[in-house]
Amino acid sequence: MSVADQSGDARSESFTSGLSVSDFAAVLAMGLEPVGLVQGFCAMQSSSYAVGSLQRNLSPYREARGYVENYQCPHGMVAGEHRMWGQNYEQYWVEETWNQGFASASARMLDEATRLGAVGVMGVVDTQSTLAGAGVTEFHFRGTAVRLAGTDSAPSTPWTTYLSGQRLLKAFEAGFAPVSIVTAVASVRVWAYCITEYLLGGGGISAWSQDASTVEIDQVVRAQSQARALVRASARAQLHGDVLQGVDLIATQHEYEHGDIEIQCLLRGNRARRVGDFVPLRAPDATVRLS
Amino acid sequence: MTDHANDLPEATEHRLEELEHGLFTSDLSVNEFLLVKEAGFHPVGLVMGSSIYHTGIQTRKWSQSQELTKLTEAMYNARELAMNRMEEEAAELGADGVVGVRLDVNYYEWGKDAAEFIAVGTAVKAEDGVSRRNKLGKPFTSDLSGQDFWTLSQTGYAPQGLVMGTCVYHIAHRGLGQTLGTTGQNVELPNFTQALYEARELAMTRMQDESARLGATGVVGVRLEEKSHQWGSHTIEFLALGTAVTKTGEPVTLAKPTTIISLDN
Repeated sequence: MSVADQSGDARSESFTSGLSVSDFAAVLAMGLEPVGLVQGFCAMQSSSYAVGSLQRNLSPYREARGYVENYQCPHGMVAGEHRMWGQNYEQYWVEETWNQGFASASARMLDEATRLGAVGVMGVVDTQSTLAGAGVTEFHFRGTAVRLAGTDSAPSTPWTTYLSGQRLLKAFEAGFAPVSIVTAVASVRVWAYCITEYLLGGGGISAWSQDASTVEIDQVVRAQSQARALVRASARAQLHGDVLQGVDLIATQHEYEHGDIEIQCLLRGNRARRVGDFVPLRAPDATVRLS
Repeated sequence: MTDHANDLPEATEHRLEELEHGLFTSDLSVNEFLLVKEAGFHPVGLVMGSSIYHTGIQTRKWSQSQELTKLTEAMYNARELAMNRMEEEAAELGADGVVGVRLDVNYYEWGKDAAEFIAVGTAVKAEDGVSRRNKLGKPFTSDLSGQDFWTLSQTGYAPQGLVMGTCVYHIAHRGLGQTLGTTGQNVELPNFTQALYEARELAMTRMQDESARLGATGVVGVRLEEKSHQWGSHTIEFLALGTAVTKTGEPVTLAKPTTIISLDN
């Protein structure tokens, strides 16, 4: 699809920039100048968000790949509605959807920057939103393409970074150059077994333990920690020996029905490479606001 | 009320007369006020413009992505009217520009398909008496805060105008065949991607055309806003907004940032 064809030509007379004025000033101080606001999109259909409740009522999901963990009820058959087994499993199809959305949208943003002769794209912002009803997720990346002031030379692939303004300037001063933004997603589904389901209800603590002490819900804790481990591993695989800076990890939890939970971790960061020695910054001044 | 000069209401004339006698009003915070003064300007009055506009309806094809040009024109013209009236108020006060402009759209229960478009900002005048109006001879407008206005002046750039571009776009519904064809798959939907791309590009290009008419060097602080207003999820307004700037040729006095540790909570 020739989405990149629509950009650039009509917008080459003057620059546009999504930077705040403070960040714009910092760009000038770095010897750079903005050339244009660049963006990329991708609308993805994200169907089959789970294996389904029917499967949950039958037997553990056996076709999962990646992280899978089964939990067995210790009580034997108690009643028909008793959850005899539980399972945590990685929803790789969700991760693939998001990764493809991220990759396509960011590649299109990079295409626009390349067409403008930029050395890099700073102040990247990415958003994901539901489009035209459920089932379609739109991935949107945008940032400000910059070039070296007074020169047209540009690399074949511009760098990208979520940083802008003084934060990017400080990274340069510390001897790091931006390489690319890093995005990663992990999705883990929790199908609770009897004990987890009971504890998630919040009322079973004293009945199980004969006292009022709180207990850890092991199955959910495992799923949460595994989702975080998976997303960090995915990000680490994108570094190729560089470092990751300014990481933001957001974990969300969605309960479809009692005992059926999806845990999703989204990681954003900046891949950077050391290109110079660290020059210690001046000791900061202590300040007190008057307002 | 029409889009002609001096079509301001009577009460406005009275309010502006009071402001012309030295009293000023402003929605700037104290810090913003100080920095606007530091940049060599003083506030002369809070100015506003409004337009209640009937946005109407436009037929759209269920399965075709397309711009709804009538709605685009309505949304643009309504904001333009509000902006023009705010500029008129500023011109009446002899202002060089308006900072901190906010553009809002309000809907009322009594006005089906009608919306009120409001532009509000603080008119400012240069203290050295040299006109800072834009290429068109009008007061410049800008959505910059007082702090940003001061920072911009330090970079050797001056605001020329708040520029905007809009595009109301209908995104096609998917047919039964398309829906069934991708059932159970996680795939890109190129029609949706292409439609959104085109709509945003149209809005941005129109914003840039406005900045070109002002002879601007660039546009800073560009925002892309999306709203469905009252049209349903498949019809979206894409609005690109930013402040057009030009290089002034004045010396650049960028201060070297100081690192601090705040002792506040």
